[in-house]
Amino acid sequence: MNILETKDLLFDYSGHKVLNGVNLEIREGERHAVIGPNGAGKTTLFNVITGSYKPSSGSIKFQGREISGMKPYQLNRMGVGRSFQITSTFAKQTVFQNARMGILSKQKVRFNPFSKVDKMHKITNETNLLLEQSNLAESADMPAGLLSYGKNRALEICLALSTDPQLVMLDEPTAGISKDETKTLVELIRKLTENKTMVIIEHDMDVVFSLADRITVLHHGEVLACDAPEVIKNDPFVKQAYLGTLEV
Amino acid sequence: MTKIWIKTLAAIILIGLLIAFPKVMGVLNTNIFIGFAIMALFAVSLNLMLGYTGLLSFGHAMFFGLGAYTTALSLKHIDNLPISMALLLGVLGAVVCAVIVSPLLVRLSGTAFSMLTLAFGQLMYIVCLKFREVTGGADGLGGFPVPDLKIPFTGGIDMTDPVNFYYFAITVLGGCILLIWRFTKTPIGSVMISIRDNDNRVDYLGFHVPSVKSLVFIVSGGFAGAAGAIYALFQNMVSTDGVLGLFTSFNPIIMTIIGGVSSFTGPIIGAGLLTILEEFLLRYTDRIALFNGLVLILMIKFAPGGIMGIWDGVYRKWFKRRTLS
Amino acid sequence: MDATTAMYVGQIMHGLAYGMLLFLVASGLTLIFGMMGILNLAHASFFMLSAYFCVSVIHMGGNFWLALLAAPIITAVIGVMVERFLLRGIHASGHIGELILTVGVMMVIMEAVQVFWGTDSHMISVPSALAGMVNIFGLQYPLYRLFVIFLALAILGLLVLFLFKTKMGMIIRAGVSDAEMVEALGINMPLVFMMVFAAGTWLAGVAGVAISPLLSVFPGMADQMGMDAFVVVVVGGFGSLLGAFVSALFFGLLNSFGIQFLPRIAPVLMFVFMVLVLSFKPKGLFGERE
Repeated sequence: MNILETKDLLFDYSGHKVLNGVNLEIREGERHAVIGPNGAGKTTLFNVITGSYKPSSGSIKFQGREISGMKPYQLNRMGVGRSFQITSTFAKQTVFQNARMGILSKQKVRFNPFSKVDKMHKITNETNLLLEQSNLAESADMPAGLLSYGKNRALEICLALSTDPQLVMLDEPTAGISKDETKTLVELIRKLTENKTMVIIEHDMDVVFSLADRITVLHHGEVLACDAPEVIKNDPFVKQAYLGTLEV
Repeated sequence: MTKIWIKTLAAIILIGLLIAFPKVMGVLNTNIFIGFAIMALFAVSLNLMLGYTGLLSFGHAMFFGLGAYTTALSLKHIDNLPISMALLLGVLGAVVCAVIVSPLLVRLSGTAFSMLTLAFGQLMYIVCLKFREVTGGADGLGGFPVPDLKIPFTGGIDMTDPVNFYYFAITVLGGCILLIWRFTKTPIGSVMISIRDNDNRVDYLGFHVPSVKSLVFIVSGGFAGAAGAIYALFQNMVSTDGVLGLFTSFNPIIMTIIGGVSSFTGPIIGAGLLTILEEFLLRYTDRIALFNGLVLILMIKFAPGGIMGIWDGVYRKWFKRRTLS
Repeated sequence: MDATTAMYVGQIMHGLAYGMLLFLVASGLTLIFGMMGILNLAHASFFMLSAYFCVSVIHMGGNFWLALLAAPIITAVIGVMVERFLLRGIHASGHIGELILTVGVMMVIMEAVQVFWGTDSHMISVPSALAGMVNIFGLQYPLYRLFVIFLALAILGLLVLFLFKTKMGMIIRAGVSDAEMVEALGINMPLVFMMVFAAGTWLAGVAGVAISPLLSVFPGMADQMGMDAFVVVVVGGFGSLLGAFVSALFFGLLNSFGIQFLPRIAPVLMFVFMVLVLSFKPKGLFGERE
């Protein structure tokens, strides 16, 4: 069964068709990578699906429900989480406070002006658990802005998963970090997205081929191919259009 | 455990000082202190938006003024109105106003938010200035009765006595400041700080940002209204320039910037410093706004974190510990 | 021309004269906002400052024409100093700091004029060449007001020529619609910002001198102009000169007819207008950016 489906998704940015009829099918429980050269429309696709932009036309279905035009907060409540290419955390707050925001939302404590948040032990415990799972426990009291870049990327992923979404969309989680750190981060992603559906935008082909069950190749706002990694690797069409430019 | 003891001790000392203040400092200083406490609550309520949520309002006088006018008008027109009811009506007036304007404001942020609050503030000012049958216009509204405070089993306390009024005002204002402090410690408090830091991420975590902003706006407006209501009782006089003018909106901003936007106590310290500075300067010159303006420019330019920001820096340097806003 | 028509024509002329002055102030405000993203709350203070410089120039034996030339330039120099030494350093730390800083500048200017020039109002007489009345279709109208209208039109003409025919003007127009892009093209933005700030304060300065024979010079003279210019920019759309022009004339006329017919409702109406535009069309009626 498909958890996410887009049909003829079109996004027009002042006359430029950034997405030109994208048909995407994400199966429940799979790890799905979206690859493509710069400017192919990958991040725009994410932004349209997660509610940053409204699509110009076409439909997006999440668990069979039409979601195009919904706001990010509505989608999050339905079970869509995402991370950003440019780290988007709460830099002045501690790692614990960052993660707690997600847990508050997960526990539906979104609009409580009465209780003391420090005294909500269930929230505190769950936040600590999440930080432990994300290998961030020892940095819990550090302001996010002072974390190393690698740790910051881990926190970004931790935030994306903090509300326990069924569908996680990760936008270049390993962008800009070292080989070693990438390995750790990929393991973290693998661990945290267990039993979830994940869509990932990634430039690092090692990461793509080690994580993904299926791959979609996006080119000029259109889906060039969508198949298992082995097939994509050997698709002459894809090779010519895209993979030739990358060291695989 | 020691921390709690220190806190309790500090609280007892503070309360003791507040109780002793009128006896030690005399009536004149007591009145200055009431003025300070009113501005402190006003500035703290503003900082709920400015420092905690990252929204700069140029129209906060709207709520202060509404609180003051509602209290004054209800005391003038309703016979035998208890003082507590007059106070509550003042708060209610400000809250109702905040509820009405918030849907238009919460969709905006940054400069657009500041401009719309400025527009609303000026609109309120002009309306009150022009409809002088009700508001007294620029001359203001004065001489309304200030009723006794009725407490069961006592004969009622005369509120025109400055010392009695001091205890009443300090209790209300201090209580309000404590309530705001409590508010910042709730989950909504966490959410509003997060909105200031990164509203986009808050949205993506499943929070409805406009409704949180809306609540903050209403709470902030309501407490500003309480400050205005006490002001009306204290001065026994409200006028458009006194409670609704542009400078009524600027003053708490100046205090907050001086004290420090990123801490709860900053605006209180700022209000205190500005009150002392004013009392001092008034002996030499009428041009207080000149000094306020200069201080504001210097603070923004060289110490954007205010006094508390400087203190944080020193503290961090000396104790090598990280403190957080 | 019968009395009623004469009254209407007179009101229209008054409204146009005020509207044109309003446009001079508002155009500077809108250019600065469009270019730098700074809502300069001190803008009207520069307008007042220039009027006080005009007082000093005349006091020191100069005539009105010298004042009209010199005062706006001195004002622009002070404007540049504010931009260079105060605003520039904090541009990176966000708009809230900039907004509050302009409040500080406004307060300092407002108080400083009272320290240097006192709190009394200063009368400026209309230059002798422009004293007296002209006959417009039988209506006796003050020549000076007519001059104000033509002065503002001439400056509008120069402004349009500058913005549309010179390289600097092109850069500024491009900057108003997309400052980052212009910066990316390798243009010295700090210099452009400084130029825009100078031009904006100069425009306010010209209006300040031009209005002084009509209004006299006093500490509160900028209050109404400041708010009116703010409304004009909001309604006209931030960064839009055309919008500023149209809405300045509209509010000039609203002001002059409002005083005549709706003395209480007109100023309220103005702010209601602004609230409605900001709430439902935040980019303004002609604006392209928020």
